[in-house]
Amino acid sequence: MITFGKGNLRVPKWSKRVFMVAGGCTPFRKYFPEYKLEELVMMAYKMMLEENQLKLSPLEIKDSIQFAVYGEFADHFQDQLLCEAKIHDYLGLDPLFNVGIKTGGATGGSAVLMGAQAIASGYANCCLVAGWERMDEVDTRTGNFYISTAACKDFETRMGRIYSSYYAPMANRFAQIYNLSDEVRAKIAVKNRHYATMNPNAQQPGEHTIEEVLESRMSAYPLRFLECCAMTAGSAAVLLCDEEMAYKLSDHPVELFIAGGSHTLRVADRRPMDIPLLPNEKPGQYDAFLKENPRWPGFESFLAARFAAYLAYRMAGVKDPLEELDLVELHDAFTISDVQTYGDIGLRPYGQEIDYVESGDCYHGGKCPANLSGGLLGTMHAVGATGIWQAVECLWQLQSRYDYFHGDAKWWKRAGKKKPRSWKSLQVKDPRQALWVSHAGVGSHVTVGILRKAW
Amino acid sequence: MAKKAYEKAIKTRYTGKPLKLYDEKKAWVVRWPRALEHHHTYGLLTPFFKGLTQGRLMATRCVNPKCPQQSTWLPPRADCPDCYERMKWVRVPAKGKIYTYTLVDYAGVGIEMKTPYWQIDVEIKGVDTIFKGFLAEGKPYIGMPVKAVFRTKNPTHTILDVWWTPDE
Repeated sequence: MITFGKGNLRVPKWSKRVFMVAGGCTPFRKYFPEYKLEELVMMAYKMMLEENQLKLSPLEIKDSIQFAVYGEFADHFQDQLLCEAKIHDYLGLDPLFNVGIKTGGATGGSAVLMGAQAIASGYANCCLVAGWERMDEVDTRTGNFYISTAACKDFETRMGRIYSSYYAPMANRFAQIYNLSDEVRAKIAVKNRHYATMNPNAQQPGEHTIEEVLESRMSAYPLRFLECCAMTAGSAAVLLCDEEMAYKLSDHPVELFIAGGSHTLRVADRRPMDIPLLPNEKPGQYDAFLKENPRWPGFESFLAARFAAYLAYRMAGVKDPLEELDLVELHDAFTISDVQTYGDIGLRPYGQEIDYVESGDCYHGGKCPANLSGGLLGTMHAVGATGIWQAVECLWQLQSRYDYFHGDAKWWKRAGKKKPRSWKSLQVKDPRQALWVSHAGVGSHVTVGILRKAW
Repeated sequence: MAKKAYEKAIKTRYTGKPLKLYDEKKAWVVRWPRALEHHHTYGLLTPFFKGLTQGRLMATRCVNPKCPQQSTWLPPRADCPDCYERMKWVRVPAKGKIYTYTLVDYAGVGIEMKTPYWQIDVEIKGVDTIFKGFLAEGKPYIGMPVKAVFRTKNPTHTILDVWWTPDE
């Protein structure tokens, strides 16, 4: 049994409070030849500056920024080292310092965490966090191979050359241990792709039935194509500030708490661990569970997500996640990764993950709806942008601006689409607090971010 | 004395291969070929890969009496992450039980296996980790006993030099 040192479990504490005031993104597409990468980032950045009811003009805000953090998953895809320098120059932000952040699928969350550290430390009082990925320079199977090099190249990549084949063994194990049916996984794909039909920026919106999901082509058993996210080209951006700057810029800022955790790249290297308990869990609660599942987290759960949640809830003072969170955005790169995370972040105790779906809690109108944005399955996974875009969607929900950013005709026009007649608002009523999970590999890096209404 | 290149006026010409247009509808998209070779070292794990070609499954074990875990690692790693001591090579049984599995159907470019095939994760007695591989024949289930087979002739010098077959 691996245990943790006391010092390892210290809860992070910002030296200064951190706020998020604005967000922007591009439409998301599989193939986006109309724009170069820097042009896409400019689109997200300008949307952030112009569309968030900020009290200074875009150029006044440009003059207020002191630091930028950029998220990009893979140099392979961009085929451009030091992309950050090209983007930063294109946004006209030289000579401000900037850094590139890379933690696989959690790149976006990690970039927000690094930006927050810059604010909390006082290095900056106004910080840009932007991310991107352009996955359309190569064909799909080459892209599958590139992504599979985020499995261990010596021991895993050759075994599949596609990332679904590293998640599928977890799905089979989860099914065996917790009795998870194909239908419950399919419900998640149906839900998120349906929510994506309300999002003008969505890449894979669609009204599907459970049967259609289960009859769609097999990627790696038991994960079907409709249970897997696609490759995306696009960008997202947020603006972080300290308290003074936040209220100078916005009448509707949200406060940010974010922490991360990690675990082995190869899921197979995960040895039995202690379960770090969330604030709503009691010592001894998992004694019987651990007798039955002595390898926790094994192939079923993510220690990195649990550890990030352990820290983030304490940073934010969240005592009971399901009661206190009004919505969540989870990393549904695959239906199974969505399910696995419910226990990690305490939407249900371990072993009862399925109930979060079956109870209806995960739906709009439910206790704590998940992925109203359409998620990765329905809307996008432009990897370096993903964890930033999820935060943007949470921000707009908290500011009660879902309808503007998803329903206004201008965004449908920008995306080259017609707003569907069936469009309906997925705005959560008076939300106070939201959480998003940014997740890499098979759980190698995970950030858990919490946004709280601060007006 | 002959002039060095940097001392001369030079006339040059294009020697590359013109790029072809892939798409020209909304913007010019060009085909941009890439062909690369890396020289990748197995470093201190060389005995593992060499072991496969000799029909042996080699793991590393921490034998430091002060180490809190003294784990046995397969895939092996040279240095113990719990106490930072260099570990010892040990031969482990070439058999185990299937911990979980998947069917790889749609694979990425460069796949070296005939698809579809069963990818399996194997639990081996005395090893603290799980070991990924593929089942060359049969249909897997969780708990299925399997044994390892090694490519001792014409090895690939990769992890594909070991695979598994049913052992029941």
